[in-house]
Amino acid sequence: MTATARKVCMLGDFGVGKSSLVARFLRNTFDEKYLTTVGVKVDSREVALDDGRSLKLVLWDIAGKNALDALNQNYLRGATGLLLVADGTREATLRTVLGLLMQARSLLPEVRAVLLLNKLDLVERWEVAPSTVAELRHALPVFETSARTGDGVEPAFAELARSLLP
Amino acid sequence: MIGFPAAVERYVQRVLRERSHPLMLSFDRAWQLREALGDARHFGVDARPGSADVALLRDLFLGLPGDEAHDFPFVGLPGGRTAHVHGIPDGELFHVLLLDTSEEFERLQAQQQLGHEAALVSAEKSRALARLRQIRTELEDQRSRLEEANALKNALIATLSHEFRTPLTSIFGYLHLLERRSADPTQQQALRALRRNATYLFALAENLLEFGRGEGGAGLLSPAPVDLAALAADLDAMFRPLAEDKGLAFGLTLAVQGAEGALFDEIKLRQILVNLLSNAVRYTAQGEVRAQLVWRDGALHVEVSDTGSGIAEIYRERVFAPFNRGAQEGSKGAGLGLSIVKRLVQQLQGSIALDSLPGRGTSFRIVLPPLPPAAGAPAAARGEPWRVGGRVVVLDDDPDVAALLVLLLSDLGFSVEVCRSVAEAVARAQADPPRVLLVDVELPGLSGNAAVYQLRAQGYSGRIVTLSATATEQARRAALAAGADAFLTKPIDLEQLMHVLQRLSAG
Repeated sequence: MTATARKVCMLGDFGVGKSSLVARFLRNTFDEKYLTTVGVKVDSREVALDDGRSLKLVLWDIAGKNALDALNQNYLRGATGLLLVADGTREATLRTVLGLLMQARSLLPEVRAVLLLNKLDLVERWEVAPSTVAELRHALPVFETSARTGDGVEPAFAELARSLLP
Repeated sequence: MIGFPAAVERYVQRVLRERSHPLMLSFDRAWQLREALGDARHFGVDARPGSADVALLRDLFLGLPGDEAHDFPFVGLPGGRTAHVHGIPDGELFHVLLLDTSEEFERLQAQQQLGHEAALVSAEKSRALARLRQIRTELEDQRSRLEEANALKNALIATLSHEFRTPLTSIFGYLHLLERRSADPTQQQALRALRRNATYLFALAENLLEFGRGEGGAGLLSPAPVDLAALAADLDAMFRPLAEDKGLAFGLTLAVQGAEGALFDEIKLRQILVNLLSNAVRYTAQGEVRAQLVWRDGALHVEVSDTGSGIAEIYRERVFAPFNRGAQEGSKGAGLGLSIVKRLVQQLQGSIALDSLPGRGTSFRIVLPPLPPAAGAPAAARGEPWRVGGRVVVLDDDPDVAALLVLLLSDLGFSVEVCRSVAEAVARAQADPPRVLLVDVELPGLSGNAAVYQLRAQGYSGRIVTLSATATEQARRAALAAGADAFLTKPIDLEQLMHVLQRLSAG
């Protein structure tokens, strides 16, 4: 098994765009149709970093839930990175993903995390205030992303990849 | 655990195998594929060493201890199937076992899809409802602001009305006195010119105020007998020189036998005629301007016609809209006149019709029925010589108006006392009740209505006439509700004042 591969789990409420972000990141595609994820879908991509290093991210796109049940806890085992996803148009999903982060950290104390506030293309409908995002940035890296347009997606994944390398 | 009979065991094994299509990939400690057994094609998995699918299955155990069993349900596979993936340590080997769960996956996914879509729709609905609530709040705020703005506008109009009417009271009153006392023809002519122009200014101011009041704030009607001959003479004197200056023939005929005693609102009637004649003269370059006032079938028929530019068919309705500049060729004014005329005619329960031929001229025909008498209005005909004695107390803070009232009332034989404050008027009226108490409503501090109310509340039963620069029905109701016997508006119509005083003195 390659030494430069890391397991990364996508966490977030349903419908926030986790699978869409993975599709954008892996295949540079976007499907307008919402299709709920059941269980987990695993895929991988190697990320080349600015400093010449590269890392293979094994992405576990886990079904959206508002709390980590036994099944999700099982999926999390072995993960070193988390991509936390919230929907900017639904502030409740931000509270959910922060709750998921706390739960995940109790299982994986050393896990690295990046927060993606998705659906930037719908920013006129965002419920999350800019001041809230500014506050969150003191605690963890935050990226405003749009799986539909691709904005912010690569930098978010790259940031997590960077943080996972020694 | 008791074993099943061999036949059952075989049956279970067969059923499980048929349904789960097991696929096993065995890796050594270096995660090299050593063996692949089972139905790889069923899963769409390329089970050859070094394939991407094998790498993916291997990656599922990234970061996990190789000496423990692992179990991942519902793992989506590249070929589209879903498997329950088990990791089974076996000495030097690590087996990865795939059991097909596609059927269960599809059932779960259908359920979950419905649930999630419903939740998303519900969230969207909540958001839409919140937005609607917000819009409603904004609309209510906007309505409050509009009401506030409207109240401010009304207050402004009331103030303007007061500011116009108060000095005009002095102007018209003193003109009246001068006209009565001057015998010199030159001075009489000058006074007539002053009256004409003051009247014209008054009419213009009334137009603006009428427009500002809006449809819902119609000015108060003041039904009273009108000297139509005098009105016609005034209009003739006002417009004939203007028409003649333009080389136009001007004619104003009167046939109003039988109209004596009919009640009209003189100011509004004058406003209508001034506006129509002013337009006719303005938009006629050559030819003539004619007006006639005819009493027929119990109504006053007014016709104003000209040989001017005329109004095209498409503009006929627009000329009655406010600020209609451009509706008429060569428009010069504010475009308010005809809209005010229409509104006034409607207020007077009349009708208006327009005939026009572009290039040939225009004719406006108005029919005005007489107005019913206002409550408490004088029944006596105007113009009767009348003098009466007695004491009148006047409460007015405007020294010009107060002095004018002193002169006018003295002329009528009254002895007049002037008070400047509510308290003074109340005290004086109570101490020695006058024949009539004349109270101005718009006073600094307490209003004149407050004085009337206080007096009535203390049992005062003397005659009280309220004078107000606010010519609205609301103002009239407020004054009468406070206890006034009569309500008159400024500028003071001397004839009307005389009749009211006569009626109240007689009572």
